Amino acid sequence: MTKELLPGLALQKVDERIMTLNVGPQHPGSGHMRIIVQIDGDFIVACDPDPGYVHRGEEKMAEYRNYITNIPHLERPVIHDSCNVLYPYVLGVEELLGIEVPERAKYIRVIASELNRCVYTMYWLAIYGIFLGHSTMFMWPAGDRELLIDLLEKMTGARVTHAHFVPGGVRNDLPPNFEDVCLRQVNYFEKRIKEYAAIFYDNPILIARTANTGVLSREDAIRLGTTGSVLRASGVDYDLRKKEPYDVYEELDFQTNVLKEGDSYARSKIPWLDMMESCRIIRHALQKMPKSGSVRVKLKPNPKGKGLNSVYKRVESGRGSLGCYIVSDGKPEPYRVKLSVPSFRNLIALPYLLKGEKLGNMPSVYWSLNYWPVEADR
Amino acid sequence: MNTATGIIKALNSGIKHLAIKRFTLRYPEEKLKFVGDGYQFDPSTGVGIAGYKGRHMLFHDHCTGCQLCSIACEGVAEAIAMVKVPEEYKHNKKAIMPQIDYGKCVFCGLCVDACPFYALYMTNDYELSSFSKEGLIYTPAQLQVKPFVSQDSEIKITDRGATHG
Repeated sequence: MTKELLPGLALQKVDERIMTLNVGPQHPGSGHMRIIVQIDGDFIVACDPDPGYVHRGEEKMAEYRNYITNIPHLERPVIHDSCNVLYPYVLGVEELLGIEVPERAKYIRVIASELNRCVYTMYWLAIYGIFLGHSTMFMWPAGDRELLIDLLEKMTGARVTHAHFVPGGVRNDLPPNFEDVCLRQVNYFEKRIKEYAAIFYDNPILIARTANTGVLSREDAIRLGTTGSVLRASGVDYDLRKKEPYDVYEELDFQTNVLKEGDSYARSKIPWLDMMESCRIIRHALQKMPKSGSVRVKLKPNPKGKGLNSVYKRVESGRGSLGCYIVSDGKPEPYRVKLSVPSFRNLIALPYLLKGEKLGNMPSVYWSLNYWPVEADR
Repeated sequence: MNTATGIIKALNSGIKHLAIKRFTLRYPEEKLKFVGDGYQFDPSTGVGIAGYKGRHMLFHDHCTGCQLCSIACEGVAEAIAMVKVPEEYKHNKKAIMPQIDYGKCVFCGLCVDACPFYALYMTNDYELSSFSKEGLIYTPAQLQVKPFVSQDSEIKITDRGATHG
């Protein structure tokens, strides 16, 4: 009987040329995960990502809490993108309980989730900048992110982990005069992110660093099951907001951004282009939103699902398609909640991308996958 | 675009910011202004009123000791415990009121949504640090006090950039 060992602990045949290097789990570059890299000189021969250091049992916890008290802890996997993480759960519970959501609440949700997508992407972009040694690109997005955090704070009452979406709508209506403030700050935000082109995206030094590194072909991107910006950077036009519109996305005017290159540069550019689309969506949604009306359906204190029933809903989060599978057995608590997260799907591509790359390119290729360790571990 | 112009453009875009005011909130001296007096909830319509989710505020004359806030918190953080208070109000027969442990509270505000008697609201106060764990536990008497906040800084957007004015 052979004993199964954890990756990295197993004895390996010693090769004089190959060295095994543990990047993480306490490395500023890797986040809460370990990447086991085997290098020959400066070139990566093989790579084995080892997530699981921040497993928190969110799915098991959800079985002991009712449909409403599940909200605060289910948004914890990605606190910067908490509205989008909660979105599929809320949509699923609404279908299970048979709730019809008011029109105004749908628009508020779309605005909140687009603001959240930008907040997440700015944080991600800041880290991507510091990975490449571009400290201006760390400071600028981290500062400009405050504009949108301020809007979310006015809307939901918290900087991160908003707990704003509930089955049946949103927790509270927009504050007075919000539309004007939102429009002003989003317009300025869009102007600011356009300035990033000169210093970052058109910067020849950045292009030399990231172009043609970690190339993922269109076929591989589909075969490995990647989603979101990784898939769209490889030339596949797949955005759930277009393909499976939820809430009011089909009434809003926006387009998806697709690049063909599939390298680290294209993968980093897609979220930046998506932010401009998000600004367009927010402006259009503010314009089309009903000016008054209910934002939340009154529920019974302890809502129950109807018999044995299951539902699967997915949304486009800041990282890709995020699904939630809920099984109800007629009790106030769900029987099972399964989160299908984009981070984990995109991580699968990492060993394929890093093969043959230089070790110095590892951080930029790794972070261009739009990976969030806490979300992948749940 | 060739390499030289690209680098010059990148440098230029950074140098421009030497002349622009910084977008920095000097925190202890200036504090961001929030909407309203904190998150509140109207049980008659079932919709909340937008506001910051900070430290709670308990209205002793409304609280009936029904424990609904404590039950709502059981599934979230178990931060609310019901404690004995001196018998003062007729509607609070059991003479119990919530005591909140801010070492555990996640500021989700579900306890405010659960209160049907307009007794528990949230305020703009977020400076709750303490030197001891016991200092984070707020008794009903402490929760009754309306916090003093001086938050007046707002984001101002001009042609020359955004500032915290």
